[in-house]
Amino acid sequence: MATATLGNPPDLSDRERAAIEALLFRLADDEFVAAERYTDWQVRSPTLESDLALSNIAQDELGHARLWYDLLEDFEHTESALIYERAAGEWRHNTMSELPFGEGDWADAVVRTYLYDTAEAIRLEALVESAYPRIRDRVEKVIREEDYHRQHAESWLSRLASDEEGQQRLQSAVDRLLPYGLTIFAPMGDVEADIDDLGLRTETLESMRETWLDTVVPHLEGLGLHVEDAQLPEQYDVHHEAMELPDELGRDGTHTDSWDELLEEFTFAYRDLGRTTTTEIMADPDDVE
Amino acid sequence: MRWEVFRQEEEGGYHTHCGDVHAPDAEMAKLFAQIQHGRRKPTHGIWVAPADEVYSVDADETVFGGSTDKSYRWATAYNVDASHAQEVADSEAEQREAEGRRGES
Repeated sequence: MATATLGNPPDLSDRERAAIEALLFRLADDEFVAAERYTDWQVRSPTLESDLALSNIAQDELGHARLWYDLLEDFEHTESALIYERAAGEWRHNTMSELPFGEGDWADAVVRTYLYDTAEAIRLEALVESAYPRIRDRVEKVIREEDYHRQHAESWLSRLASDEEGQQRLQSAVDRLLPYGLTIFAPMGDVEADIDDLGLRTETLESMRETWLDTVVPHLEGLGLHVEDAQLPEQYDVHHEAMELPDELGRDGTHTDSWDELLEEFTFAYRDLGRTTTTEIMADPDDVE
Repeated sequence: MRWEVFRQEEEGGYHTHCGDVHAPDAEMAKLFAQIQHGRRKPTHGIWVAPADEVYSVDADETVFGGSTDKSYRWATAYNVDASHAQEVADSEAEQREAEGRRGES
């Protein structure tokens, strides 16, 4: 089905704009919050090499968040409002990405990046043919950096899975994280139908969630891990059954307690210094090739 | 396990030793080396080799180039008009530079 290409930001209808914003908020917030959390490992990773690799992945994700937030700025959002002055309940990221890491729980970092980056690849693929040119033009650049993330996570997974202690640590991370990982595909509301109808993405959330589970469940089982039956809400008519979702879905503005602490932390200096604007140190993505 | 890392700036260029990484195997060494040694400088390729598998000999053990006069090895020792042949001129320039640097070490 050929989808009509949408116009430039000022020419969009209210319905189009609302759907685009809903899509962008989740893309940007997911990347930003995931990166903020990965940064917890800085100078605390098991080795210098793993530290640099994860920090570098965090920097990639921040770069992606920046590309998506920049598209929200087309709609008169400012960086201050988007990052430093937004209420906790207005953030739309998935709740897996905000969870704190247990002290020294590297298996959590490995499983989390694996679950997230696998989902990310599926989601970005569905944007390559987006009807909104501003998204379509940027997505390839993001996809090019994601391959490394998956290789990194999969390499670590297979190595940690190679002995019994590693297996136990991975299993515990999978048990804890997978239900939260499902919130990546939780709907924001009625706007999802508009996002699909307008062709902003070419695969529905339900379908992407299935693709994701069809990828990660066999992969984890192939490493000797056990995946509890995926308990999905009954409204999803899917073949992965019965995996319980957490109470906090993220997409609807509900978050875990740890989110308040994280938000407090990365906005602290801004508030403490009484700032109302942000410092710009890089060129606008539109002015860079 | 330690791996020596060699970075190539441009396609076709030499891979130059640039440091090391610690990694359990070659796959992880390649992943880490990309970040540790390839993220800030222009990079076209990277080699990793187990540090144990790199064998060396140094000036304490041998006299590189020998200890007697072998200046006949150098084009600069010959009285040739190289102005008509760019290749020869280039080679002479390279050798003059190499001679200079031999003196430094």
